[in-house]
Amino acid sequence: MVPLSFYLALSAVLFTIGVVGVIIKRNAIQMFMCIELMLNAVNLTFVAFSSYFNDVTGQLFVFIVMTVAAAEAAVGLGIILAIFRNRESLDVDEASVLRL
Amino acid sequence: MWSILLFVLFGGLAVGCAVAVVAQRNPLYSAISLIGVFVALACLYMTLAAPFIAAVQVIVYAGAIMVLVVFVIMLLNVEEEVRRPVRLQHMIVVGVLLGAALAAETFFMLTASGTTRVGPPAVRDVGSTTSVGTGLFTEYLLPFEATSVLILMALVGAITLARQGRDRAAAGGGGEAPGGAAGGQIIQPGFTAETGQAFARYQIEAGEASAPAERAAGREEEKH
Repeated sequence: MVPLSFYLALSAVLFTIGVVGVIIKRNAIQMFMCIELMLNAVNLTFVAFSSYFNDVTGQLFVFIVMTVAAAEAAVGLGIILAIFRNRESLDVDEASVLRL
Repeated sequence: MWSILLFVLFGGLAVGCAVAVVAQRNPLYSAISLIGVFVALACLYMTLAAPFIAAVQVIVYAGAIMVLVVFVIMLLNVEEEVRRPVRLQHMIVVGVLLGAALAAETFFMLTASGTTRVGPPAVRDVGSTTSVGTGLFTEYLLPFEATSVLILMALVGAITLARQGRDRAAAGGGGEAPGGAAGGQIIQPGFTAETGQAFARYQIEAGEASAPAERAAGREEEKH
């Protein structure tokens, strides 16, 4: 059987890729997708611990994390739309001052 | 043996798609790679004996959230990233180095903690819909209700953001720019043949049908 540490290592790799993406990307939508990637890496950790310790709590928190991700998607994409309306661009370098 | 094989297959697929999410310049390709990550993770949840979470992963993430993201990408007509000089070019190197440091820290914690010695339990029976539902509606009822309040807040926030934009567009004449063109004739919804012809003429006059051009035309029109 697969040891627990394999799943944790995979989760760490996915989370790191998400962090690097948020740092180096300049497109707001792609940064948003990298944040979703990080949330999913954490979800994998939750499910792995839940399964290996035979405790359902981790999976309940995965459920709640998914809800938070859905709410974040709705509000975050609304903000991205508002930025695009104001600046005609999704480049976060051009939105570095908090005024029009 | 089989479980190792499945783990390597889906784990490799997840990591490859995650790298593609970061490496692609076109946001649409990034979104499709991200769907690949979600599906691979759903398969990993199945190998972890969590079928309910796997189904919710596919339905909520790969279904709802990614449809929303792809919808926004299509709506904004996002081009590929322009290859112009990045203002902070050296920050990319710094970012990759910071990521490597984070990975090193995480793996150090992984080996330093005792989790490497935890083996799989004899029976894994916690992933069923029954146990998830029982836990969610008995012991964790309060977080569940707080989640519903959060969803309500997100709903209100999204509607507020969308309404602000529409009010501004209506005040500036931006949203309905194609309607006011073609020889002073105001085009109302409900016309059929004339509307289509007038809109086509307007498009030919404007030169192109892209959204910024329409918006610019709308602003110009509003000035006179």
